This record gives sequence, structure tokens and C-alpha cells, in this order.
Amino acid sequence: MSSDGESVSLALADVPPGSATTVEAFGTTVAVFNIDGTVYAMDNNCPHHQGPLCRGRVGGTLLPSSPYEYRYGLDGRVVTCPWHKWQFDLTSGRAIFDPNVRVPTYATRVEDGAVVITLPSRDGGVGQ
Amino acid sequence: MIDADVHQESITIERLLPWIEPGIRDYISNSNFTMPGYLFPNPENLVRQEALLDSDAPGSDYELFREQHLDALDVEFAIVNAGALMLAACMPNTQVVAGISEGYNRWLTEEWLPRDARLRGSLMVPSQQPALAAEIIRKYGIHPGVVQVTLTFGSTSGYGQPHYHPIFEAAVETGLRVALHQGAEGSGINAPPATGYPRYFVEYHALAPIAAMAHTTSLICHGVFEKYPELGVVVCEGGILWLPEVLWRLDADWKGLRMEVPWVKRQPSEIILEQMRFTTHPLEQPPDDASLGPMLEAIGGLEDMLMFASGYPRWDSDSPESVRERVPEGWHGAVMGDNARRFYGLPVGSGGAA
Repeated sequence: MSSDGESVSLALADVPPGSATTVEAFGTTVAVFNIDGTVYAMDNNCPHHQGPLCRGRVGGTLLPSSPYEYRYGLDGRVVTCPWHKWQFDLTSGRAIFDPNVRVPTYATRVEDGAVVITLPSRDGGVGQ
Repeated sequence: MIDADVHQESITIERLLPWIEPGIRDYISNSNFTMPGYLFPNPENLVRQEALLDSDAPGSDYELFREQHLDALDVEFAIVNAGALMLAACMPNTQVVAGISEGYNRWLTEEWLPRDARLRGSLMVPSQQPALAAEIIRKYGIHPGVVQVTLTFGSTSGYGQPHYHPIFEAAVETGLRVALHQGAEGSGINAPPATGYPRYFVEYHALAPIAAMAHTTSLICHGVFEKYPELGVVVCEGGILWLPEVLWRLDADWKGLRMEVPWVKRQPSEIILEQMRFTTHPLEQPPDDASLGPMLEAIGGLEDMLMFASGYPRWDSDSPESVRERVPEGWHGAVMGDNARRFYGLPVGSGGAA
């Protein structure tokens, strides 16, 4: 892992597809998720009670629907906090229950076998 | 002042007979039919002693009701609910309940409401058979004096369950509000109160909020308010201070568990604020009246959800003065009239005596 204050990088091999890890950067702990080769980074602390998001299940969710309708979607884009089950969209950091609730996200790119995570992207939260 | 819940106790099943259609009237008269009694009788009397006429049932005399309540307290409008007839909501024979409900609704719209322009009515329906209840709502809900349909706390399940939805659909279609009112819990075919049957009236009465909590939660979690965005539900005689428990707990749980009820798209407390109201009677009585205000103020949005109700002529009725003393002063306009006026779409200014 290397860091220059504006960016941090780690070996892609340290976060293979289907896994998550954390790096210390930007004065916080950043959770890094590799979903089928796409890498997402967001603060590791859930904004609720600081549960470790990197330990959360990644999958989809039940989309807003009409009564008694279960409509699955966002497969592979949603992390569920392991503690109180708040769900966040990995691409935006926004909570599924309320888009105004957000986890800060970071831009990521993969180059030369390394994942590079950069500041700032707290406004856009673009994964990848 | 607008009174969101008064009871008409005088209209007993015997007095209602002429208003009931002949087939059901014949059945009631010639079978060994009896109305269900109170499962938990008040050890004194369910109604105020001074509201009783010597020769009559309480509140039966319009003049007494007018003098003692409407005029004495300068009531602008009063929402009339049935009295002991509400217990029909626990009977298994839904045709008979439908007959009694229609009889009551006829009496209400043809006999009682026309007596005073300040009165507004709430319909009785056989909630045991929601499709039939919906028909009755559509039939009597069009009367200009009818503003609401009342369901008792007593029911076979939470009112969010899908078989009840035709009632809400009909209420919305007819422009009526729905009241959930204490009564008939555990009676007849209805589900027992929480943890099984209490033994005493005092237990039953003190625990009324449990049914209010259960129905509120049921309506939210089944998405009834999402399905019927125009629906307005008021909880009567269920207490107030349970609200933060349900609102805060439900909000917190929903944030983590919404995937189970993805149709609940807004935070439950927001839905409740928008589509539910709560009447004051009987308002909580802390050891010190002044301590209630800050507790009420801590419940976000309650100022817009709370509606004064006297509960006349029940034994636990509240005077407007006693409610003013317990409710934050800045809320008086909203609680004593404006909220009900908005909820029921009542005009500004007194209906005036007929």
C-alpha cells in the first residue's frame, strides 16, 4: 500500500473479485470492494453506528415496489452493513432507504496490477 | 372547539329496530338474539352519571346533549360515533351486523344528524366482511353529514391485512376518513388483546394503546398508506404517549429491514405524520399536568396530528379546559380545532344550531 495524501494504492491481488478489504487513507479507514473485477471504495464506517462495511454482504436488494410485490434489483451493487443491515449503493454511497443518507465514496482505477483510490469524490461518489 | 369523538349511547338495539330492514329485524326480534355485552364492564358505569336521564339512556335526549355539551362547551362541530352498538363488530353473523350497521347509518343520517348542524357522523360497518362493509360505505358515505367510517380496535387481525383493503378503498372513494376506535377487543370472534385476556376492566382500559400500536404498525407495514395515498386514519381512545415508541422503533427497524416491506417507501414516521391523526381522549394524566407538554413536544410533528376529543358522555371524558392545561399552549389552535377542520374538511365558523 502506498499513499501520497491525495491517493492511495494497493495491489489488486490483495482484493480479488468477490472480496473486500480496507486501507487506511485520507484520515479514515476506506473499504475496498472488488465486484467481478470492478473496484469500489467507500468509508468503512457505517454512518449509523460505525459498523464495518467491508465485512458486509454484497448483493442486490428489494426495490421500492407496490404492496406485496418483491422486485429484486441492483444485484452486486449493494453492501449491507453487518450490524444493523443498512444497505448502501456501492456506486454512490447512498443508503437504499434514503438517498440523503450517504457514505463518502472514492474514485478508483486499476492500473498495472494496482488499485488506485483517489480523493476527492465526496460529491460524485463514482465507483470504478 | 371541534370535538372529534362523542358517543351516541341512547340508540340501543331496541330503539334501532324500526330502522333495520325487515328481514334482519324479524331475526333480531324473534330469535334469541342479544347484542354482545361488554366483555370488560366498567365497575361503575361506562357513562357519566350526570349525562343519564332518569327515564332514558345516556345522551339519548338531544336537548340534554345540546345543553350539556354542544352549547355549554361552545362546540363548533362534533364527530358522532356509535355507543354500545359498536360491539356488533365482534359478532360472527355478518349479515346481521350489516343489517344493524345499515339501520344505525339510516338512523344517523335521517334522524340524528339533521337535528343539529354541528353534528357530523361516522358510519358503522360489518368490518368482519370487508366487501359488505365497502358496499355500505358507498351507500351511506355520500350523505353530506357523514365524514368517517369507524372500525373498532377489536378485530380478527391487524387492519393492514389485505382482506380489509376494500374498506379503505371505499372510504377513499367516498371521501371519508377512517377512525380506529377502542372497543370490542377480545369480544366475540375478535382476537384477544395482547398476551391473552386481561381479567379486569382497569387492565383492559389501561392497555388500550396496545391495540392502537398494533393496528398502526399493521397499516404501515402492509403498505396501506402507499396503496391509498388519499387515505386518512384517526386513532381514537388509544392514547398518545406510545407514539414515540412506535414511531422511533419502527423508523429504526425499517432502515435495516425495509427489504422485507419494500413497498414502504417512506420512513414510517413520515407516513404517519401525513396520513394519521390521534384524538386526545383520554389524554394521559401525569402527576403534574405541566410535565405532559414537553413530552408531547418531543414527538416530532404531533402538533399537526393531535385532535381534541371529549369522549362525551363516557366516564373518562376530558373537558376542553383540562386538555388545554396539558397540551403546549402554542398548540391550542391546532389541537382544539384546526387539525380536525383540515382532516375532515370542515368549514370555518360554527355549523350553528339547527
